[in-house]
Amino acid sequence: MGSSYKGIDLFGSGPHRFSVLREGELVVAAYLLGGSGAGGQVVGKLDVQVVVRGRLVGRDDAAAWSVRDALSAQAGSDAGTLIDLRGHRWEGMTLVSVEWADRVDRGRVVSVEYAATFRRLA
Amino acid sequence: MLVLSPTTVSFGGERWEQVTQIAIDREAVREVTAWSDLGPHVVFADVPEQRVKIKVVMDVPSDANSPVPGRMGTLMARLSPSLTHASGVMLSARAVVVGVTHEIGGRKGASRTVELIAVSADGASDPIVFSRV
Repeated sequence: MGSSYKGIDLFGSGPHRFSVLREGELVVAAYLLGGSGAGGQVVGKLDVQVVVRGRLVGRDDAAAWSVRDALSAQAGSDAGTLIDLRGHRWEGMTLVSVEWADRVDRGRVVSVEYAATFRRLA
Repeated sequence: MLVLSPTTVSFGGERWEQVTQIAIDREAVREVTAWSDLGPHVVFADVPEQRVKIKVVMDVPSDANSPVPGRMGTLMARLSPSLTHASGVMLSARAVVVGVTHEIGGRKGASRTVELIAVSADGASDPIVFSRV
């Protein structure tokens, strides 16, 4: 089974893995909210965040840029469903950022590492 | 790759006499490997950075003029026809000397080993070039 975002195979050109970031309540220091003394105050649930880390791969530079542009184009667009390699689904996810490695690797193929962060915005 | 008894060898226009062996080694300087969420095995491997090392071994008489580390030149070696089954093949490589060592006390006298790193013209083309002569 392949992964997808909004039904698009964004990551399948190369290896990639999914990780879920911290879940639970967002706790803010009470004094920041007008309180006094030590301690924290729960202000609400953390957004669900999923990070896809991997490597986009192309036979040549043009092919690598093609898959890279396809991923970049989804940043900041409307929310959609993210599905991992085992079929787990996260609904209502927005691609909020894509970080690229400091270099494009050119060996047998052209590839570049990335970290794509998805967030279920409230 | 190992070349035994090349016919003629020169570096930077200077002829190197009595060369007995040339070895060309290739090593991965940086490997890329990756796994997926589906299991324990590597699903991607590539070598985006590699290094080609050349070792030239020669018998030397008393000689004060050994190559100096950092010197750059073109190494040219004509390979013997018996090796190539052809009229002749020339190996050439732009290279930088990175080490010079001597072994003394052998039955044949002293031998010198010059180690070089081959340098590609543009980063994409192989730094070792073979051509028919």
